[in-house]
Amino acid sequence: MEIDLYYYIYLVLKYFFLFYGFCLIALYFFAILLSNRSVNRNKRKARFLQVNDIVSATDIPSITLIAPAFNEGRTIVENVKSLLSLQYPFYDLIIVNDGSTDNTLELLIDKYDLEPFDSTFITQPIPTSTVNKIYRSRKLQYRQLTVIDKNNGGKSDANNAGINFAATELVLCTDADCIIEQDALLKMVRPYLEEFDQEIVACGAAIGIINDSIVKNGVVEKLRLPDRLIPMIQVVEYIRAFLLGRMAWSEINGVMLVSGAFGLYARNRMIEVNGFNIHTVGEDLELGIRLRKHMEEIKVPYKMVYLPETLCWTEAPNSIDVLIKQRDRWARGLWETMRLHKDLFFNRKYRDMGLFYYPYWMFFELGAPIVEFVGFLSLIVFTILGLINWNIAILLFTSVYLLGCIFSTISIFIYVKNFKHYSTGKEVVELLLAAYLEPFIYHPILVLGQVQGYYKKIFGVKSGWGNMDRKGFQALPKEKQ
Amino acid sequence: MRKALVIQEDIIILKIIERLVVLNHYECKAIRSINDLDIEDQSENFDVIISDILFDGIAPLDFVFQIQEIILHKSLIIVTNMGQKKIQKEILASQNVIGFFPIPLDMDNIQKLIA
Amino acid sequence: MEAEILKLLIKFLLLVLLITFGSIAYTMLYRKWRTRRLKLIENSFANICSLYLYPKPNEKPNLIEIQRELKAVGIVPSKPRNVQYLIDLMIRTQRSILGVNYIKLKTLFTQIPPYGASASKLNNKKWYIKARGIREIYEMDQSQYTRELIRLRNNKNIYVRREAQIGIVIFLGWKSLRFLPYLKRQMTLWQQIKIVEKLNDLYPVPDLKHLRRAYNSDRPYANELIMRIIRKFHLTEDVAYIIQFIDNPKFETREAAIYCISSFLLSDEQLVEIKEKFKNINNTEQQLLLLKYIQRISSEIDLSFYKDLLYNGNDIIKLSTADILWNNGFKEEVQDYYYHQYTQNADSESISV
Repeated sequence: MEIDLYYYIYLVLKYFFLFYGFCLIALYFFAILLSNRSVNRNKRKARFLQVNDIVSATDIPSITLIAPAFNEGRTIVENVKSLLSLQYPFYDLIIVNDGSTDNTLELLIDKYDLEPFDSTFITQPIPTSTVNKIYRSRKLQYRQLTVIDKNNGGKSDANNAGINFAATELVLCTDADCIIEQDALLKMVRPYLEEFDQEIVACGAAIGIINDSIVKNGVVEKLRLPDRLIPMIQVVEYIRAFLLGRMAWSEINGVMLVSGAFGLYARNRMIEVNGFNIHTVGEDLELGIRLRKHMEEIKVPYKMVYLPETLCWTEAPNSIDVLIKQRDRWARGLWETMRLHKDLFFNRKYRDMGLFYYPYWMFFELGAPIVEFVGFLSLIVFTILGLINWNIAILLFTSVYLLGCIFSTISIFIYVKNFKHYSTGKEVVELLLAAYLEPFIYHPILVLGQVQGYYKKIFGVKSGWGNMDRKGFQALPKEKQ
Repeated sequence: MRKALVIQEDIIILKIIERLVVLNHYECKAIRSINDLDIEDQSENFDVIISDILFDGIAPLDFVFQIQEIILHKSLIIVTNMGQKKIQKEILASQNVIGFFPIPLDMDNIQKLIA
Repeated sequence: MEAEILKLLIKFLLLVLLITFGSIAYTMLYRKWRTRRLKLIENSFANICSLYLYPKPNEKPNLIEIQRELKAVGIVPSKPRNVQYLIDLMIRTQRSILGVNYIKLKTLFTQIPPYGASASKLNNKKWYIKARGIREIYEMDQSQYTRELIRLRNNKNIYVRREAQIGIVIFLGWKSLRFLPYLKRQMTLWQQIKIVEKLNDLYPVPDLKHLRRAYNSDRPYANELIMRIIRKFHLTEDVAYIIQFIDNPKFETREAAIYCISSFLLSDEQLVEIKEKFKNINNTEQQLLLLKYIQRISSEIDLSFYKDLLYNGNDIIKLSTADILWNNGFKEEVQDYYYHQYTQNADSESISV
């Protein structure tokens, strides 16, 4: 009787996992087709609106780049110099010193010759922590720089302060320690210039990993693959996520998440939705969903788009510990956001977002780590109970593994075909090897981090952003022989 | 012989300006990026520098100020794609520049300045 | 049975993987070779142009030599991609140069291959080839194809019709305003920018007759385009056209109107009109922009207007108004207001000034 029950559970789970896996593979396959179309289309469109056309144009939307900084004294001066050098004719830079306890503000005041100006009557459409002072440079060459000094309120709060103060049509939210491609703004503004029947509310671009690369004057001088395996696998993960995932969503106007590290938004819409939510650690996804909901509610046709080019570079976790913390936080952010917007679930009022995109996120983004974790536990239990046909299991595992390898290889292929980074044979081979090792070394760590995040949410364990110990880009690594 | 330095990323513009400068009896160094400058260039006293303002890692206006300190020269002419009135005003306000030419440009205007 | 199917699947997947490896390798090799080739063509072309424009004293440019040079770097009919790259270089150069050199280059480009390559692209079914053909036609100043471009102005593909519209402006100048405000489809911001820029670059003297006829168009994109033209050409006498859109119900139209009006100084009557319209705007950010503009162009502070806003505006408008008054010597009014706030009930009704 008991054996029958176990066998019954085994069968139910087996078919569930098969069905789930099949859906996921079908979706990935569909994503490849969509993203390939999207990347090609982007490439063709770019021919008709080249960077040189935009850089010389008048009347293009003005952009403010907002970069929150918290205790970044070690790198802030160089990072600001790098951000100031971005090529865009109508561009302002706002650095929000989010209550740093180190010398971040002093360094900025000193290097950029900042002076405070009267901020008695500054308007704050989005409520934030107290703004203490606003600084501008006395030097002509740094006129586009504004530094807001405010009490600590977190990254979202700092972004909101920047959005309040910006006086441009578009705002680009990023991190002060990101390296942004020099022509990034010129490329990011393209969708805003080209759209005619839908309003672009947000635009993102691919983010790349820069560990162990050579950065000089805030510009990536030589892009290298990271030396360590963990960040190297993340390079593949990011390529896959942005090139296959986001570009596919972009093709069907299904983008819900524009990465917090690099996203361009229409300022007026940001103010209408009250900016970033300061109560969640998944503020970028939450904002994306809220923006979309808002546009659906006011019945204005809209679009959230992604560009395939890597326009922003960031440092990825180097160690397993930090990686787990990061994924734990992302999982908590996802959980919080999904919960906050549960009214979207199969809600016809929100059209495709309610009927497809949100349920997808629910089942396959939020659900995947749970399914994987349960799958792993089931494997142990059913092995003990002797219910597993190992011959079939190994063959099935090999098939699924190969499918994973194919998806990664195709994303590397699309990347190599369309972009100039990682163009040597050695780099591509290393990337492929990293991709093939991913399921054994890296993926279990991710699932662990994600399940840990969910556990914290379910059992109310308090946890914040956690620290990401960055090496910074100042110390140039020695040239490889 | 007078000495000129031309810095333009676009090789076609670079070559055309280089020819123009050479025909005006200058000894010309033509490069595509400020990274191509070498130590000797810093001590050369160029009679004229004809340069873009869009370079990696340095803001346009900052470049105009920094080039004063980095390379000795008598006059600076800017030829750039980023030639909006606002930018032109800012660059000319720096008082370090004798000519600002947005692309598309008439080379005769440069000739008048360097002749 | 299951095992057999899985084994077959594995073999198939391995094959797919191998094909993908091959594709990566081929792509990398091809890219390397192609980059080298393009660089070679670009360098040769740059040399040709520079020597053609500024030949050595007592030396005339030799067209045969130029053609031979181009052939040597792969500009031959059997390599259409190289030819296309050369056309792109020609366009790039034409767009960068003005004056006598522009005319010289135009002459050069008619005397070297390819000949008539662009016109044939207009009949291509692929949108990106068709649009490229149009671009080549207008960038290379082939005005004999204007009629074809007019036909394509309402094409269903955004890029084809955009390029055609830009071409029409280039060839017809202000006369193009006979068509542009009455298009079947919307115009993107970029189209508007390009049209205004091309008019400014090529036809710097405004033809008010054609412009004013276009005022009859009720299409929102046309309203925005005309406002941008009025701004670019600084047509002070036509500023009333912009003012009428300041409180337009459409956000984008209002945005364009506020942006365009900010280039002008207004008469007292116009300023009064703007202040009236200010109240009808239902977006605080746009109100803020307009408020800053009103303050900037006003010769003196209109106390009743600002006090009305201070007492009856929303919190953000109140704060900005207080800022303006405070910094223009009306500190007492601001203090009175804040004193008034303390003494009033929180939910008191609005007070007229």
